Amino acid sequence: MTNYIPTIGVEVHVELKTKTKIFSNSINGYGEMANSLTNVVDLGYPGTLPTLNEEVLNLAIKAATVLNCKIRRQMHFDRKNYFYPDNPKNYQITQFDTPIGYDGYVEIEVDGKTKKIEIEEMHIEEDTCKSTHRGTKTLLDFNRAGVPLIEIVTKPCMESSKEAKLYLEKLKELLFYCDISDCKMEEGSMRADANVSIRKSESDPFGTKCEIKNIGSISNVGLSIEKEIIRQQALLERGETFKEQTRRYDDKLGDTVLMRVKETGNDYRYFPEPDIPYLYVTDERIERVKEDIPMLPNERRKKYMDLGVSELNANKLVQNRSLSDYFNTLLEEKINFKIASNLLLGDIAAYLNKHEKNIENTTLTKERFIDLINNVDDGTLTSKNLKDILDTVLDNNLSIKEIIKESGIKNITDDGAIREIIIKIINDNPESVKDYKDGKDRAIKFLMGQVMKETKGSANPKIANEILTSELNK
Amino acid sequence: MKYLDKSIKEINELLKNKTIKPIDLVEEAFEKIEKNKDLNAYITLNKEQALKDAKELENIEVDNILFGLPIAVKDNIVTKDLLTTCASHILDNFTPIYDATVVEKLKEHHMIIIGKTNMDEFAMGSSSRTSYFGAPKNPWNKEKIAGGSSGGSATTIAAHDVLFALGSDTGGSIRQPASYCGIVGMKPTYGRVSRYGLVAFASSLDQIGPMTRNVYENAILLNAIVASDEKDLTSARKEKEDFTRLIGEQIRGMKIAVPNYFMSDIVDINIREKIEEIIKLLEQKGAVVDYIDVKYLENAVTLYQIIAMGEASSNLARFDGIRYGHAKENPESITDLYYGTRQEGFGQEVKRRIMVGSYLLSGENAKTYYNKALSIRDDMKKALEKVFEKYDLIIGPTTTTTAYNLTDSMDDPRKSFMDDVLVIPVNMAGLPGLNIPVGFSKDKMPIGMQIIGNAFEEAKMYKLASFIEKELNLDLNPFGGEKND
Amino acid sequence: MKDKLSKEEVMHVAELAKIKISEEEVEKYQVELKQLLNDVEKINDVKGYDEDILIAPWTDKTSLRKDERGIMLQPKEVLENAPRHSGNYIEVPVVISEGEGA
Repeated sequence: MTNYIPTIGVEVHVELKTKTKIFSNSINGYGEMANSLTNVVDLGYPGTLPTLNEEVLNLAIKAATVLNCKIRRQMHFDRKNYFYPDNPKNYQITQFDTPIGYDGYVEIEVDGKTKKIEIEEMHIEEDTCKSTHRGTKTLLDFNRAGVPLIEIVTKPCMESSKEAKLYLEKLKELLFYCDISDCKMEEGSMRADANVSIRKSESDPFGTKCEIKNIGSISNVGLSIEKEIIRQQALLERGETFKEQTRRYDDKLGDTVLMRVKETGNDYRYFPEPDIPYLYVTDERIERVKEDIPMLPNERRKKYMDLGVSELNANKLVQNRSLSDYFNTLLEEKINFKIASNLLLGDIAAYLNKHEKNIENTTLTKERFIDLINNVDDGTLTSKNLKDILDTVLDNNLSIKEIIKESGIKNITDDGAIREIIIKIINDNPESVKDYKDGKDRAIKFLMGQVMKETKGSANPKIANEILTSELNK
Repeated sequence: MKYLDKSIKEINELLKNKTIKPIDLVEEAFEKIEKNKDLNAYITLNKEQALKDAKELENIEVDNILFGLPIAVKDNIVTKDLLTTCASHILDNFTPIYDATVVEKLKEHHMIIIGKTNMDEFAMGSSSRTSYFGAPKNPWNKEKIAGGSSGGSATTIAAHDVLFALGSDTGGSIRQPASYCGIVGMKPTYGRVSRYGLVAFASSLDQIGPMTRNVYENAILLNAIVASDEKDLTSARKEKEDFTRLIGEQIRGMKIAVPNYFMSDIVDINIREKIEEIIKLLEQKGAVVDYIDVKYLENAVTLYQIIAMGEASSNLARFDGIRYGHAKENPESITDLYYGTRQEGFGQEVKRRIMVGSYLLSGENAKTYYNKALSIRDDMKKALEKVFEKYDLIIGPTTTTTAYNLTDSMDDPRKSFMDDVLVIPVNMAGLPGLNIPVGFSKDKMPIGMQIIGNAFEEAKMYKLASFIEKELNLDLNPFGGEKND
Repeated sequence: MKDKLSKEEVMHVAELAKIKISEEEVEKYQVELKQLLNDVEKINDVKGYDEDILIAPWTDKTSLRKDERGIMLQPKEVLENAPRHSGNYIEVPVVISEGEGA
């Protein structure tokens, strides 16, 4: 079987996180009673006209900025005309001639190499209403009609399902981070279409393109592209040709299925929207929006690892925007960042999950957290201690010192007392001492475990470690 | 009890000193409308609510010159809780749950909406004969058309039923019926009056304007409806101004242009002669009048056909039987619902225009027709603006003929466009245009003159119009009532 | 210039406009639509203009609305105007394939 080169382009629709809709002041919300979030503009009542939500422009500029797009300074909107029950005016207001962003890129890491996924353009448009099919009827809920969207279109520049998935993950991370969108694919606030074609060699023209519409998750994007490549290969191998078509991914079937064949190009009868005058983007607005862009995930990851945080923890932190933001407030401090990341992602994250809280809603001020980290760092608090006092630390304003005092933690910090126990343990475990002398690192861990067991976790681990090492080396 | 034949200043005095109440005006209006029922000027009368509104006004101080006065509103302007049909079967059951911004303005001024006037279906036509409810008749001769598309508004004003009406003008739909019916009609500068609540025909051309018996009342009504509106992004952000402020001034030194095309043989010789008389009069009174060439004027109808039909095909796509309005009964499929609803709901003229408009935007045609039209439109606007570097105003006839017979053939789909050849250029450039009656043809039908101003110079147009009105002092009551002044 | 459109051309524009037309109407439209289209052809005779376009004679640039919530309709109001509805939904005959949504 010949090896084919797939070519993949991805179009993503993202709902913007605004309070109100793009062309009307009704609420942009999800999960409310059907047809309760609309007004006469959203429903396309006769005589109604669009107004333009400033926040949509700001978020679109923000998105264009983080996607490294050039930003257009003078724009108009266009009407895309097509009849469909989910399209209240039977035209959609979009940007066809003058998308707000163009010539951008997103960087992904594939097999250790950085690849630029080129963004052809990104434009602003309105969402359609939601339709549900029930037997012989289709039911329409117009709550979603007029929700602001940006559509981000890549060039056909990806060559595998893996690249497409990595691109989507990166895109989602960026947009979510910048508060541009919730990016919840399961709620439809992020939706992806993939264009797939295959050809035998780089020098060949692109093969016939099939579009897979409205894929419900990133993993399904991967699966559907793979299945589609296999399907197209099989056809070509059999010497068959096929027409440009629109398909969808059937989850149960685990394959793509035909929706319709594009006999001729879609005839959307685009023309410039006369109801919305030219829209201008000023330098001041771009600057204001840029100030609002947080430190981006890549930069965070790099910073964290430079400060001694493990790659695993750095990634975990970045995935949790609120913990990562909290962590960022510490970056200038002289603390043990490894411990800080362990604490945040371990016991503290567990507490937050259990109590369904954000870190901002706890009493853990920056100062108290630093205090806590230092107490762990110098061995005053053992991990067992920490578990005992964490609830108090997080829902109480007492200083760490007071909490330690009140909780009655009496760690054995007396050198003499610890040394006595250690000598006993060394004497009881000659095998381990031998292992240690033979250079087996495991042994010291075992012996330390015995010390903590003997002291019921109350020995200052730092001191104990020092004494144990010195006794063993005698 | 002929209060409505008095000037609005007099009526206002009578209301202020409580000689009359608003309800007297409303009752008189309905009596007249009843008497002139055969004119078919109205699609819906707002009798019950109007009487109620008038009663309520009795408890309110007379706070402005339009207080308590009845007004007729064209039926493509949405009125809350009052049927708004656009003279179409597809909306003949449509009761809006919102007011157009202009309607809010009328209500703020305590005017009383008396009813919704007849018109061409969706304002597409030039004789109001495309109305689903039958054509209105010209009060000067009931065998003749009232013009269109604001035919009902022109009719009710000409018949002296009420003093005020609103019309809309996409390609002459205020000025042309005003000319045929012998009244004053103003299409303001694009953006002067909010379009929110005006059922869109061609969004880049549509504009609401006042239709009245005389120039002063026209300017007063324009004062009331002009406002920049945050609900309409195309509404102009301009300071409030008094459009009557130049009325009564002398015209000496005014520089006036007459495009040669407007006086070419496309215009009936009797109308040209009448306009020439007016030009002589203006010259006598010290105005400077030059005949000039204006590029692209003769292309305006072609541009209009492309742009208006293109936009209309999109604007009228929303009438699909799903969210409001007429719907085909028991549709077998979604396609059946669309096709059936629109087949049943739209009349011939509308169907023709939507089909041609869809075609003009489809595939490559968008480039070969639509974009080209937008390019020429830009040049045409510039050519007209250039005239105003040298001249204060442009004048010419409003129509090529006087009103023709209601029974004349409607078979030629081009006829309705050609009727508007002189009034369309104004809409293409977004300029203000006004019709003022200047005399009568041999068969006693009104002849109108068009005054065109530079953008936002309506006050200057009213100045010239009121001067001519005063000089001519025509008797403009078709039923020979008392004279208005 | 032809003096009428073909039947297929008429059916095509009717489809674009989503209007059902009867057999007799097709014949009528073959002539009428062609008359209008012939008129429109005259645009090709116009010369000497530049490429700048005028979308609409706007006075001002677009002003932006603050992202603040306004008054909405009650579901009841939405449904009362709709020719067909069931539950809180507006209803249409089933749409077979999931369509061209945004």
